[in-house]
Amino acid sequence: MSKPDESGEDVDPDDGVVDLQSEDHPLERDEPADNRKSAAEREAIAAETEKYDARKIVTGEAKYTADYRTRFPELAEATIVRSGIPHGRVIDVDTSAAAAMDGVHAVITPWSEEVPDTLYSPSGQSYPEPSPWDTRVLSEHVRYVGDRIAAVAAVDAETADRAARKIDIEYEEYDAVFDIWDATDPEAPQLFAPEEVENETTGADYEQNLESHFEGEYGDPEGVIADADEERVLETEWETPYQSHCVPEPHTSIVYTDEDDRYNVITATQVPYHTRRQLSHVFDVAIRDIRVVKPRVGAGFGSKQEMVVEPVALALHRAAGIPVKLECTRREEFYALRNRHPMDLTMRTAVDEAGDPAAMDLSVRENSGAYGTHGMTVASNVATKAFPLYPRVPNMRFEGDVVHTNLPMGAAQRGYGAPQGMFVVEGHMDELARQLGEDPIEFRKRQAVREGDLDRAAAILKDDDRFARRIRSCGLRECIERGAAAIGYDDIGQPDDPHRHRGVGMALCAQGSGVAGKELGAAQLKMNEDGSFVLQVGGVDVGSGNDTMFTQIVGEVLGCDPADVVVKSSDTDFAPFDYGAYASSTTYISGRAVKKAAREARDRVLEWASRMLDEPARDLETGGGEVYSEESGASVTLEEVGYESVYGDEDREHIMGQGHHATDESPPPFGAQFLTAVVDETTGEYEVEKLVFAADCGVAINPPLVEGQIEGGVHMSYEFATSGTLQFGEAGQPETVGFRQYGMPRPDEQPPIESIVVETHEPTGPFGAKSIGELPTNGVPPALSNAIRDAVGVRITEIPIEPEDVKAALAARDGA
Amino acid sequence: MQVELELNGDTERFEAAKTDSLLDVLRKNGYTGAKRGCDTGACGFCTVIVDGKARNSCVVPASKADGSTVETIEGLGSQSDLHPVQEAFVDNTALQCGFCIPGMIMRSTALLGEDPDPTRDEIREGLSENLCRCTGYEKILDAVEDAADRMADESGAVAADGGHPGSGCDGPCGCEPGGGGT
Repeated sequence: MSKPDESGEDVDPDDGVVDLQSEDHPLERDEPADNRKSAAEREAIAAETEKYDARKIVTGEAKYTADYRTRFPELAEATIVRSGIPHGRVIDVDTSAAAAMDGVHAVITPWSEEVPDTLYSPSGQSYPEPSPWDTRVLSEHVRYVGDRIAAVAAVDAETADRAARKIDIEYEEYDAVFDIWDATDPEAPQLFAPEEVENETTGADYEQNLESHFEGEYGDPEGVIADADEERVLETEWETPYQSHCVPEPHTSIVYTDEDDRYNVITATQVPYHTRRQLSHVFDVAIRDIRVVKPRVGAGFGSKQEMVVEPVALALHRAAGIPVKLECTRREEFYALRNRHPMDLTMRTAVDEAGDPAAMDLSVRENSGAYGTHGMTVASNVATKAFPLYPRVPNMRFEGDVVHTNLPMGAAQRGYGAPQGMFVVEGHMDELARQLGEDPIEFRKRQAVREGDLDRAAAILKDDDRFARRIRSCGLRECIERGAAAIGYDDIGQPDDPHRHRGVGMALCAQGSGVAGKELGAAQLKMNEDGSFVLQVGGVDVGSGNDTMFTQIVGEVLGCDPADVVVKSSDTDFAPFDYGAYASSTTYISGRAVKKAAREARDRVLEWASRMLDEPARDLETGGGEVYSEESGASVTLEEVGYESVYGDEDREHIMGQGHHATDESPPPFGAQFLTAVVDETTGEYEVEKLVFAADCGVAINPPLVEGQIEGGVHMSYEFATSGTLQFGEAGQPETVGFRQYGMPRPDEQPPIESIVVETHEPTGPFGAKSIGELPTNGVPPALSNAIRDAVGVRITEIPIEPEDVKAALAARDGA
Repeated sequence: MQVELELNGDTERFEAAKTDSLLDVLRKNGYTGAKRGCDTGACGFCTVIVDGKARNSCVVPASKADGSTVETIEGLGSQSDLHPVQEAFVDNTALQCGFCIPGMIMRSTALLGEDPDPTRDEIREGLSENLCRCTGYEKILDAVEDAADRMADESGAVAADGGHPGSGCDGPCGCEPGGGGT
């Protein structure tokens, strides 16, 4: 168990979940003895190790996909031709003028022989994908402005663009639907005919444009809410918009055929192995004939969990016969690629006589947009990520509808439903506390999850309790206390101007560490004769620092300097398997695989050192680049072991270790988001002054990188609350096509962010670590709604929060 | 057409199309440190220094750049001999995916050339043309503050040393090591 939260109460850990077979989810774990180290014992972990790729980044030498162009003497550049209408059928595509242009290598349409018409899911999820197969490489039936119809490869991008403009498309136009409530009307135009979808998800009903309907519950939430007095029931409604990933490096792929007649794909991806499998499916090419290589990636945030441009680049390469680079434009990133799913949400709670929540009921209607990638799974995570903040509530219900419209598709985005879930649950709980006359922070401290709790909210949509989980580390109350101190909660003071009011808001946050029961990470570590190591690992670093974290784990196990570990990751020919960088999995899953590989290599290092020192291996330790005996004080360096093992007289061995990790566990990291905001009562304008996020991610393997995750996550969350979103015209025409229209906060627009790292110990994680990547993306919308409520007494339930919304709410408050 | 640049201290002559931007010319000729993020001058990933000023090279026509002095990230420091601004970004972990960083470093270098001791708010203002999606900007602001200190220390140390040019700063920042520092 980790450091327990301070709690003055006598708490039964199974309170509220007594019908669960708790022996299946024991609190104590068999933890390897070396997994728990005090701060004084740590050498390589919890240290400020220089980021593995820092020097090549600051010198401009780090190579991203588009930078590989210089390696290809002949390289075609490509452009995609996209639908100009929101819904219809492509009757004819006249490519003759484009194909006849000088410098054009290939033009492809849905009917080209190089373009398969296989249905697939671009979702970059594990197999079989929990997303429908509803996508084709190029579409005859177009479902949003931006759908792919044709593509051109030419001598350069400028020629490809000119050729694309000469392609003439004839459509049969269909009615379109843009509203998620209109879309399920029987009269609404239907986006998918039965033969246009395979691998349907739970509760699909395409006649109603329903990609999925799902529900789950435990206890008797309906009964409890129905039986409660009216004043003990609170119902609130919430609305969240599209959010762009604003991924720095646009989606880019280079595809070529190598001298072994195999397809090579250099691509900006979070999921090299899933991409290889999906390409194999789409093009009916053997997996062994595809190699996917991830170079440096200019971040993903979920947008590159998608297999977006790879199939188009591969089809163009087949048609052009030379290497092809397809690099999306920023305009395409905004209007045609991927976003966070918009949602409408309703939450109901009933409180018992003691003032404790007795039932929670949450329903979500998600706009999946034109295609279903991650539609059902993101909507599911709204409650399975947020409800675990309150696992003691005995009656819980959750249902969702995932609806298609003729607008851009949602997809995975950092947080994955949790930002919408925390907005609703933490806004609602704050409102509930205030209506009960309680301090909203004290109320949450009393109600929220504690170490030792059994959480089955994470498994509310499952048929059994396999994925219920024991909370073995929880630093939530320390997060609250330290966050409150940093924001100055007890004395925030008020501005001099009587029209301006300062409020403070808090929201609790939770996430997971990988997808429970659906992850695999693997690694192989090879020793060099000088005592350094080469780590081959499937785990994918798209910028957050996973390669660095891997070197620290190896260093901690083997007692070597992390700088002596060379990382070769994310190449499907050379790196062991990994599901990829999503669901906050890499430290927890791939990190454990690396630790196991390092332990196996360490066993061989100790065996060789034992022979060299003539002492039993059990008496030997590693540290400081040496193997030493505490008994005799004798030692050999890792370099001496390296040379002896490879060049020894009597015997020789290449010291290696392998590890893989798969688990049903997904321990939640926890956090508390605080902010102060000043609201002008006359205009409704508000200013966020300071953002504080305290995070419990277990043991932080690299504290500065953890702080970076917090600060970047809070930035995205601040944007979600205040400024980002996409606008469309009446006919679904995109109106937000650039950074300046979109409103991503610039350095002079981003309020200061303070990050606080609260250490706990997660016994199932590598050296006690949980995840951090997504957690901090969840808190600003509810914290801001709560701060405005605190400042001027109105509740805002729609983001981004516009001054007009605040002004209208103030007018309603004053009875105007 | 031909474009002549005084590029990182060397005279270079490149072939360019009429529609090419300075970014196109640089990237086509192997200077891939500057990144293509938007092609509309909105993100700053392509920032280089043209005639002493930080510019978004994607909106500088190649024809307009002809004859100018251009400094790119490739001319700043090497992995084993970093410029103080690069050093400060590394030591403050002021980078994640890194796609914005060459532009951010060039903008910061130009900023410190104009104002060697900016306040944190002045740094925010000075970097406002450059976006970063990963860091929330906090560690970047830390790094630029730290770089200002490092460069002040260096020029101070050089002055105490009798005014010999420093070895660590021959970049385009205009800090003139030893040549007039306070």
